[in-house]
Amino acid sequence: MNEKQEDIFTLHGEDLRHMILSACEYFEHHKESINDLNVFPVPDGDTGTNMSLTLKAAADALLSVNSSSIGEVAGIAARSSLMGARGNSGVILSQLFRGIARGLAGKDKATLYEFGRAFQYGIVYAYNAVSKPIEGTILTVAREIARGSREAVQSSLNIVGLLQIALESGKKALDRTPDLLPALKEAGVVDAGGLGLVVFIEGCLQSMMEKTSGKEATGYKLTPSLVETRKKAQNGPEEFDERYPYCTELLIQGSGLSVEKIRSELERWGDSLLVAGEDEIVKVHIHTAEPGRILQICMQSGSLHDIKIDNMADQYKSTHWAKFPAWKNLPESKTPENNVGADVNDLVKIGIVTISSGDGLANIFTALGADKVIAGGQSMNPSIEEIVRAIESLSSEMVIVLPNNNNIRFAAEQAAKLVEKEVAIVDTNSIPQGLAAMLAFDRTASLAQNQSRMLERAQQVKTGEVTFAVREARINDIQIKKNDIIGLADGNLLVRGEVVNRTTVALLQAMLTGEEEILTIFYGSEVSSSQVEELVKEITAKYPSLEVEFHYGGQPLYYYLFSLE
Amino acid sequence: MAVVRIVTDSTAFLPREKLEAYNIKVVPLYVHFPDEIILDGSIDNKVFFEKMKKTSKLPFTSQPSPGDFLKVYEPIINNGDEIVSIHISSGISGTVESAATAARMLQTDRISIVDSMVTSGGLALLTIAAAEAAEEGKARDEIVDLLEQLKKKMKVLFVPATLEYLKKGGRIGGAQALLGTILQIKPVLMFKDGKIEVFDKIRTMKKAMRRMVDELPEKGQNLRITILQAEAVETAGILKELIEERLPGTAVEVMGISPVIGTHVGPGVIGLAFLQK
Repeated sequence: MNEKQEDIFTLHGEDLRHMILSACEYFEHHKESINDLNVFPVPDGDTGTNMSLTLKAAADALLSVNSSSIGEVAGIAARSSLMGARGNSGVILSQLFRGIARGLAGKDKATLYEFGRAFQYGIVYAYNAVSKPIEGTILTVAREIARGSREAVQSSLNIVGLLQIALESGKKALDRTPDLLPALKEAGVVDAGGLGLVVFIEGCLQSMMEKTSGKEATGYKLTPSLVETRKKAQNGPEEFDERYPYCTELLIQGSGLSVEKIRSELERWGDSLLVAGEDEIVKVHIHTAEPGRILQICMQSGSLHDIKIDNMADQYKSTHWAKFPAWKNLPESKTPENNVGADVNDLVKIGIVTISSGDGLANIFTALGADKVIAGGQSMNPSIEEIVRAIESLSSEMVIVLPNNNNIRFAAEQAAKLVEKEVAIVDTNSIPQGLAAMLAFDRTASLAQNQSRMLERAQQVKTGEVTFAVREARINDIQIKKNDIIGLADGNLLVRGEVVNRTTVALLQAMLTGEEEILTIFYGSEVSSSQVEELVKEITAKYPSLEVEFHYGGQPLYYYLFSLE
Repeated sequence: MAVVRIVTDSTAFLPREKLEAYNIKVVPLYVHFPDEIILDGSIDNKVFFEKMKKTSKLPFTSQPSPGDFLKVYEPIINNGDEIVSIHISSGISGTVESAATAARMLQTDRISIVDSMVTSGGLALLTIAAAEAAEEGKARDEIVDLLEQLKKKMKVLFVPATLEYLKKGGRIGGAQALLGTILQIKPVLMFKDGKIEVFDKIRTMKKAMRRMVDELPEKGQNLRITILQAEAVETAGILKELIEERLPGTAVEVMGISPVIGTHVGPGVIGLAFLQK
């Protein structure tokens, strides 16, 4: 055996790092086909995107890592993927990493046996993280991979061989998922999350094959400008102009971002300005006197991440903290300077974080008393980090979270575990449920009382959703073509049609039992006010005893969301 | 033993027959229209709400003066009798203070003033309970004790047709948080510690009424219920049916509200006051 082969019986930090970076790039190329697998033809084909974002978070963090210790690399991947985790599959993926990190903790390098065992840990963590593990999903695939590779690690296979066995087991398990989940069978697809994991393993295998055969590793491609920014950020202490003491760095995530536009908005607020990136992710770096204003300006373009604000004067005033050593160790929000004006009552009251999409709906939630509305919903799953930030941004020590979507609940649960505050999650599955829950909130009651009351009230509401199908499908014996208008009642597809308003009325008809008193319609960004007015006219004519109310919701992708109660 | 006479104010809105039956004295508050000041309860409610609708500026209300209380207290005290004077919550009116001032002016210890912490139907129920106790021959301090007990059990819930009147009259209290909710909400309000607070937020009037009825106790013995309404007779009828479904055979009175209260909650209000001994 030549030296190269020898290396891959033992994994070093650099091997793991390279593997994750390459796998991440590989995954990028395949994410669309994963998105296409989502069973529900609603435009929420997220799984691929969610897992991709989760992996990217890990890859980004690993880019600047030089450590050769495998334990450290695994730990960094785990922490960063956790913070960047989105959607159910993303969270489970991050749990896999966490388990692997646990198994590799403290190790400089790992034998294949140790690596295989770390992967077993990963499975345990992944299963434990899910309150109701469902077979036929990414969990099944992960479990089978672990089982298949358990034997492999005992034998004398090298890493390439191990990954090949893992891949085989994974593919077999994936093919069986339709047998385990009826919904998959009916739609004629395999589980998207499961495929995502298989693709990831494939990417790992590819990278190791390239490495051992001596080919150039493809690695994670950075755009040149991002490389520039990172290099600059890493070079020593910055030049310090007293007029602009706050070194402010952040990542903006959004869509259709324009580097020029952002640059022109920020130019006048400081110097040493660097704006780099593209379409969906832009890095900003500036020295400024008003970091808050920079954040506010950037927030208009998208969501903010990895925010770092340093007072460069601190380096020159190290004696400042020497006077008050105890303050230095207090969490930011509690040092007296930062706490000015915070009412003791604010700390005691309960704050509410809710996830919604659409500016109209955000206004309504705020008007009903929500303290923080995170942009989310079917096609924009917030990451665990975003939820954590939202919870921490409130001055209340007790927080209620309304996920308003099945896909987000999991991430919310993980976020709750990461903060020090007392967090209660009300299991709302839709925005109408979330609104009903808001009405039940009683600020004089305890956190637990509120949680149960709000849930009870949420479940009394029936949710209707009208959107379009992104792919052909057959659900509940209804044949759906791509772009058909579809109507769902509490997540259950009931009707299809060609015309939005008509399909909406059909959905309503299917949902009404005669006991309902009020219908509240939220119209999305693609619906004009005259269109919704026509809809309301039709409904009130057909159902005169039903109270009908409508509001601008502004949500994307869903023509109408409505609550029936 | 000395006779204990019961005194209350116009917001209790007790019907004349009850007042005469128990010999209860009423001290009226005032409603100030731009063109005249009227005594609360001196004109018919229908007439009052008509006038209010026609007037561009919302009328304001004021408490009785100590002199008004003296007029009622003095003859009773001079007669050698005692007084239990029970009134609208100090959280929304200065009436209790006027009463206290009058009592001090008379320099007697034969007057006990009780802050009901509620008003309207709730105040009416407490006043009747006091009157019944007085009739049974209970002493003044016994009656006061009884009232303190009953106050804890008294519940007043109401749904105004709009929050505008409460807002303009400055008594909106905790319901302030419900202004501008965008979604149509029927606020179910209550008296808590003498002030108006939000009890729950419901989407329709029918559901709001069911919500109020849900708060009634399981069994109907020793339960006194009063429905309060202003220009909402039909709705009151539905509420009465809902109560009868829940607690068949329980006596339910339907009462109006005095103009002073009407000024602050507005027409269309529907509510429930109940007390279980």
